[in-house]
Amino acid sequence: MDDDMNIDEGSGVVRRKGRGFKAGLTTENSTDEVQYERLESTHKEGESTKAARSVEGWIVLVTNVHEEATEEDVQDKFADYGQIKNLHLNLDRRTGYVKGYALVEYETHAEAQRAIDEASGTQLLDQTLQCDFAFVRPPPSAPKNQNRGGGGRQRRRSASPGAR
Amino acid sequence: MAQDPFYLRYYVGHSGKHGHEFLEFEYSQGRLRYANNSNYRKESLIRKEMYISNLMVKELKRIVEASDITKEDDTNWPKRNIVGRQELEIRIGNDHIAFETAKIGSLVDVNESEDPDGLRVFYYLVQDLKCLIFSLISLHFKIKPI
Repeated sequence: MDDDMNIDEGSGVVRRKGRGFKAGLTTENSTDEVQYERLESTHKEGESTKAARSVEGWIVLVTNVHEEATEEDVQDKFADYGQIKNLHLNLDRRTGYVKGYALVEYETHAEAQRAIDEASGTQLLDQTLQCDFAFVRPPPSAPKNQNRGGGGRQRRRSASPGAR
Repeated sequence: MAQDPFYLRYYVGHSGKHGHEFLEFEYSQGRLRYANNSNYRKESLIRKEMYISNLMVKELKRIVEASDITKEDDTNWPKRNIVGRQELEIRIGNDHIAFETAKIGSLVDVNESEDPDGLRVFYYLVQDLKCLIFSLISLHFKIKPI
């Protein structure tokens, strides 16, 4: 193993490893200047929060979900806060058990907020759940969405951390 | 969050008769980006970005940490070839990995490689990450990512 040691400002020694560093960390496309589509947050609903609305509703992330929880367990718990429009309970590809998170979609901000407020800290199969919105609005410092014409151009991806 | 050096990028692709076909996602400073270019049957390029909450970032980190991927090494993994390549770059804590390998068709490729245990960690982590990111895209934008 030929790890390079690099001093990173402020956070001590960074251990680098992998052939990708020798390849220069660029994909064939890295010089392309392209635009990424973003969902505009023009909604008035839930305006007081940092949460971002998705195309058809509000997505709540639930973490620390027990690996043996079933979709029905999660449905039963989260239907109390509003009608669930969609539920993703993804599995660990190696073990086949629940990976540990669930994504729950509600139509309204109020339902999602209620799920977050009331289900956070409660238990499901003896594990304490944590809940919050999955998506937030871009920070004010973020470059403006360029879908609507105008604006400058943008690199396809940001510089890798080592290059900053 | 602004000071968090956590970074994650995965790329899989190749250049062939349909041009440069690839799938890439990247997380950096609260922003998750996804690009998928399949020129086959003139399917269009998809590029999406979204900002994810602190809890979502925490879960992403948990998945990376639980995999122990930073303990692996790509030295003996199959080299990129004409069929294509995969890249996985992760900066987490004081570890920064940039692994590169060939495309992996199935677990058979993993088991027949020189480093099956290490490549298996990579193989399953990539699947778990894809699974999460595809869920986020399909829920947020109501599109099928692939």
